Amino acid sequence: MWVYEKKLQYPINIKNTNPALAKIIITQYGGPDGELGASLRYLSQRFSMPYPELKAILTDIGTEELGHLEMIGAIVYQLTKNLTPEEIKKGGFEDYFVDHTTGVYPTSASGQSYTAASMQVKGDPITDLHEDLAAEQKARSTYDNILRFCDDPDVKDPIRFLREREIVHYQRFGEGLRICTDKLDSKNFYAFNPNFDKCKKRCK
Amino acid sequence: MTDQEVMLRRIAALDFAIVELNLFMDTHPYDEEVNDKLSSYKRKSKMLREEYEKEYGPLTPRNKEKNQWGWISDPWPWNNDKGEE
Repeated sequence: MWVYEKKLQYPINIKNTNPALAKIIITQYGGPDGELGASLRYLSQRFSMPYPELKAILTDIGTEELGHLEMIGAIVYQLTKNLTPEEIKKGGFEDYFVDHTTGVYPTSASGQSYTAASMQVKGDPITDLHEDLAAEQKARSTYDNILRFCDDPDVKDPIRFLREREIVHYQRFGEGLRICTDKLDSKNFYAFNPNFDKCKKRCK
Repeated sequence: MTDQEVMLRRIAALDFAIVELNLFMDTHPYDEEVNDKLSSYKRKSKMLREEYEKEYGPLTPRNKEKNQWGWISDPWPWNNDKGEE
């Protein structure tokens, strides 16, 4: 269950529109390493996660990612407000515009609609936690790449905030992986899958 | 910046500290120092939220029965002006 809060996690107030920049930032909305995928990945992995600390981490980070999805949507929205046809053309925004006008649609920068094929829920805690560590790094790289094309401080500031969150989440997932392996057989972490192999003797 | 924006930023700052410490507590559940800090931020946020909601309307649908129109009305979080006409 969730309760909406009528505020952003971090304020966004962009004075100058920039459709070219919106077109690359949208990738963190619906792209392969974006916030939608992050949230869906963590909130889905929760169900097969055996340890309470890990259920909590996935719930809390998955929830925060929804707030980040909203921030990215707000950035794209504000960057494309009140555009003229000339500005749309000059920003190379025509191809997005004909499909979605200036609506915010989950797609990657290279034009692929959101697909769950870019994420995994493996049902094996070690595997899923490595997926999550990788996801945070992929999102961090994407923010680093976005920052290369960003010279507006109104945009840079929230993007830097979001980038920093990926690093903090990576840290928490790392601790989560340690919590997980501490509960497994130290001679062979892969001896059994604690989500599936419910044998009481081995899962102690 | 409007008074409303200033206040919302103060709430966002406190709430961010709450999110961050709450997440830390997931993997460090016995850290009492962090837990005390978390309680203090929660108290401050609660006070400020009540003040804000009295002035500008509800922050969550749970508090909207006192001010239905305040929940509906602009600006919504993605609006960077008074709201769209």
